[in-house]
Amino acid sequence: MEEFEPNIIGFLCNWCSYAGADLAGTSRIQYPPNVKIIKVMCSGRVNPMYVVNALQQGADGVLIGGCHPGDCHYSRGNYLARRRIAVMKRLLEYIGIEPERVRMTWVSAAEGRKFAEVVEEITKDIKKIGPMKKIRRENIW
Amino acid sequence: MKIGVYVCECGSNIASTVDVDKIVEEAKDLPNVAVSRVYKYMCSDPGQELIKNDIDEYDLDKIVVAACSPRMHEATFRSVLEDKGLNPYVLEIVNIREHVSWVNSDKDKGTEKSMALLTGAVHRSALMKPLERKKVGVIHTALVIGGGIAGIQAALDIANMGYKTTLVEKTSSIGGKMSQLDKTFPTLDCSQCILSPKMVEVNRHPNIKLLSLSEVVAVDGYVGNFKVKIKRNPRYVIEDKCTLCGDCLPVCPVIAHDEYNQGFSPRKAIYISYPQAIPASFIINPDDCLGIDPLICTKCKEVCGPEAIDFDMQPEIIEEEFGAIIVATGFAPYPIENIGEYGYGTIHDVISGLDYERIVSASGPTEGKILRPSDGKIPETVVFIHCAGSRDPSKHLPYCSKICCMYSTKHALQYKHIVHNGTAINFYIDIRTAGKDYEEFYQRAAEEDKVIYIRGKVSEVLKDGNQILIKGVDTLSGETVELHADMVVLATGITPSEGTKEMASLMNLAVDINGFIREAHPKLKPIDTAIAGIFIAGTATGPKDIPDTVSQASGAASKACGILSQDELEIEATVAIVDDSLCRGCGMCAEACPYSAIEMQVINQYGHSTRIAYVNEAMCKGCGSCAAACLNGAINQLGYTDSQILALISALGGD
Amino acid sequence: MVDLKNLIEITKKIVSREDVRYVVGYKKGTYGFQIMPAFAYTPEDAEDFIYSPVCSKNLAVYTILEEKLPLKRGEEEDKRKIGVVVKGCDSRAIVQIIQEKGLKREDLVLIGIPCKGVIEPKKIEKMFPNQTDLIDVIENDNSEYIINIGGKTHKVPKNELLSDVCKSCEFPNPPLYDVLLGEEVEITEIEEFSKIDELDEKHTEDKWEYWKRHFERCIRCYACREACPLCYCKECMADTLNPQWIRRSVNLSENAAWNIMRAYHLAGRCVSCGECERVCPVNIPLMELNKKIERDVKKMFDYTSGLDEEEKPLFGMFKPDDPEDFIL
Repeated sequence: MEEFEPNIIGFLCNWCSYAGADLAGTSRIQYPPNVKIIKVMCSGRVNPMYVVNALQQGADGVLIGGCHPGDCHYSRGNYLARRRIAVMKRLLEYIGIEPERVRMTWVSAAEGRKFAEVVEEITKDIKKIGPMKKIRRENIW
Repeated sequence: MKIGVYVCECGSNIASTVDVDKIVEEAKDLPNVAVSRVYKYMCSDPGQELIKNDIDEYDLDKIVVAACSPRMHEATFRSVLEDKGLNPYVLEIVNIREHVSWVNSDKDKGTEKSMALLTGAVHRSALMKPLERKKVGVIHTALVIGGGIAGIQAALDIANMGYKTTLVEKTSSIGGKMSQLDKTFPTLDCSQCILSPKMVEVNRHPNIKLLSLSEVVAVDGYVGNFKVKIKRNPRYVIEDKCTLCGDCLPVCPVIAHDEYNQGFSPRKAIYISYPQAIPASFIINPDDCLGIDPLICTKCKEVCGPEAIDFDMQPEIIEEEFGAIIVATGFAPYPIENIGEYGYGTIHDVISGLDYERIVSASGPTEGKILRPSDGKIPETVVFIHCAGSRDPSKHLPYCSKICCMYSTKHALQYKHIVHNGTAINFYIDIRTAGKDYEEFYQRAAEEDKVIYIRGKVSEVLKDGNQILIKGVDTLSGETVELHADMVVLATGITPSEGTKEMASLMNLAVDINGFIREAHPKLKPIDTAIAGIFIAGTATGPKDIPDTVSQASGAASKACGILSQDELEIEATVAIVDDSLCRGCGMCAEACPYSAIEMQVINQYGHSTRIAYVNEAMCKGCGSCAAACLNGAINQLGYTDSQILALISALGGD
Repeated sequence: MVDLKNLIEITKKIVSREDVRYVVGYKKGTYGFQIMPAFAYTPEDAEDFIYSPVCSKNLAVYTILEEKLPLKRGEEEDKRKIGVVVKGCDSRAIVQIIQEKGLKREDLVLIGIPCKGVIEPKKIEKMFPNQTDLIDVIENDNSEYIINIGGKTHKVPKNELLSDVCKSCEFPNPPLYDVLLGEEVEITEIEEFSKIDELDEKHTEDKWEYWKRHFERCIRCYACREACPLCYCKECMADTLNPQWIRRSVNLSENAAWNIMRAYHLAGRCVSCGECERVCPVNIPLMELNKKIERDVKKMFDYTSGLDEEEKPLFGMFKPDDPEDFIL
């Protein structure tokens, strides 16, 4: 049987985490190809309903990346994101979605290594728990 | 709709781990794709030409480029679109180099990931709309808040570049803390002598309007177009009429503490801070004067030849518009009363660094003789305690105040120069002399002038008869130290000036944990604030010495002129946009906005007055925090709309 | 016990005012334990007003339900006030709406009722099924409900019929009112909303089994949304087509997404009146979702909704030291 390769959607802020992911690339740090990145200008742009939507539409996990507290390019977007995601993550856990599926991280533009490590970790974690089936959308109308 | 897809090989950088030919072929089957091509270096001139030709040949209206990070070449490809008359915002970059080929060596997986990202981009591209970079006009005047050396330098620089500048100062004279200093390190030139020519220049400059005794009370608007309200408090002396003759001084019956001399000398209720003060005019302090009431006392008015005294002056509010603002609100010494352990307040001869500046100054209360406050005797031993209130996270300030090592060294040196056989002892934690000629200055004090340095913290300062007993530890030898001194000078640290926080909140600026105004980026944007068009200079952002303050002020001035010199400013295109038919006026977006760019307005909707969010596009920086706060998607971010992001999610999810 | 005469008198007085359009209160329903919202436009209308332990409906919903039809040219907006009879949770809903600028304080006249808790309709209907006549319920001083059915009097311990949300209610007294009917209720004991802890301690799969069973039954009638005084968006995100956040189809995935979204959108806003759960035709325990978030928000951000009109929205602000133990 082919090994399960999780499909993870990553929302990364333009200024820190996306740049951190770029740095991982320019440093040629190898990491699993499972996280597909959507660039947003700020982690504060991430509507927690995107997380639900991603899990519905075939993602086995979601990663949200922002600047470290105090470093947000827009001064406070990451703080707002932290609150919103905290509430949504706990709600999803409460209804029985594995906590491993929704992750948030602070990655600075200098932390290419950290970005790769985060991807390694969540990929490994989600591989363990298997595909997201619970609220996955069946493509029937 | 016709989308052109361009996949870059980047030499072998991409092609070696991504099957580019395969994704180019597969891309042809994606919806709306009219042409799909691969090229070795898409960013090269021939690569760009390829896209340009296709735009003509296939009549393309959207472009998707799969290549390196948008941080590398987004601008390059945008100009390709612009050259061909397409809107630069209908370009979508897929990062298959930094995010795929360079981080993964499995070609199958890399190809699969690239294809997924490309599919997402094509789906999103279909939903992209041309965006407009709007322009706003600029008012070609600047406001400088704070008349210390930072504000003075900034105002002069802007004025010299030809722009009208208003300088607002809270007290009766510009000059700030620097005007109270006797000499400056490391050159020991007289502070007043280098400062007062600049003050005079401010006064004379045709482009500078000086508002003393004034405070900014409201700031509205946005870059290029700030509307500011300034409250001008009454001086009770007409500046233009006062000739500084001083006839009023002998007749004034009120004696008050002279703030300029740190309270070491008296002044009258009508006075001038110091002879070089600008505006060069007396002032009546309404708190000291017998009530600004002609019925009680009119002695000064009676003797005033030029009839400069006006008891009827009232505070006035001035409203002006500015294109840029510089905040230079300066510092206040750490309140020495807080440092009880060093005996201030209980021992008369324990004074602060700023007190010492006045005592040692030739224009000060002792006319430059070093006499201790308690009995007016020349102190034979003076102890200087560094870091008084600084670098003490448990009780006082956690940070280093930067200037104290140097000014205490200067104080000790000055003492030795005046009292040749006296003893000057410095207690320090570390000596920090990072500055041009600073280390040499310290070496000179220690070696040539025999200033004694003891590494260690003072634990106790006690009164012992006429003398002061100092107990501490010499941390280099590990031995306890007990010595007697005749005077103790505390090197008090730097804190934000009173009102910094209020001023910051007027302008929606952030302050850091210590109350200093936060810069837009601590390293790369130390002069900018989070609000476009507002800059910071001097100690308002943190401890600084005079050269750093002056350089930052000039930097802020040139930044401000960068705005003032434009006729129009181009603003962010990916701004927030409100759907009036969905907005319910709750204002959650406005609360989430870091820039106060969203204002709640009441509009007439079919006869009903309805609250609606309104985005000031000139203030919006396009972060999208508002869009994520809205409960029903009534506010969106152009270029990153919910529809576009959901399309991406759908494609990347694979469903 | 609310003095009915007093309620009617006060309502009459308020309706008679020139600056008041109408007052919303309760009146008897048509059968069984039902009650209905009553709109008093005239003092005579107020004669129908009642108040009893079965008056569970949150009338705050009527302040924001009214459709604002386009006005004809020359026609003026009716700026008169609306009167509302409010219990503790109803008043909190009003405070929350005012906080969100959906209403202005000066647009309202609030008749506050210190609330001793309401009867859960589903419980009483189960205990006394198929009642065709109208039935009165009174609460006595011994924490019992006196229920008169066909000449026969039943005494039921209050706890058996009390709504679950009322058992854990911390705010029985209206935080905002113009007149208060009777003495404030003393808060004696508050039961923990223990269902959350029970579920929280369970294994992820068991949690999902629990909610899957409920979400599968959801028929997406949106009654929960309609009854909620705080679901008053002009167009709900569940209804928009571009973008389409949630598909129309009724299946586990979309149903789950809807229920997650509904609960999330009430974070820091829900006032625990329990109306959503009460009106749910398939008995989804919606309050367990709402209460879960309420508790998280209180624990993590020390935030309580519906108490202060000047409070800022939960998600429009932050504290630098908000918890971030979940962040990698």
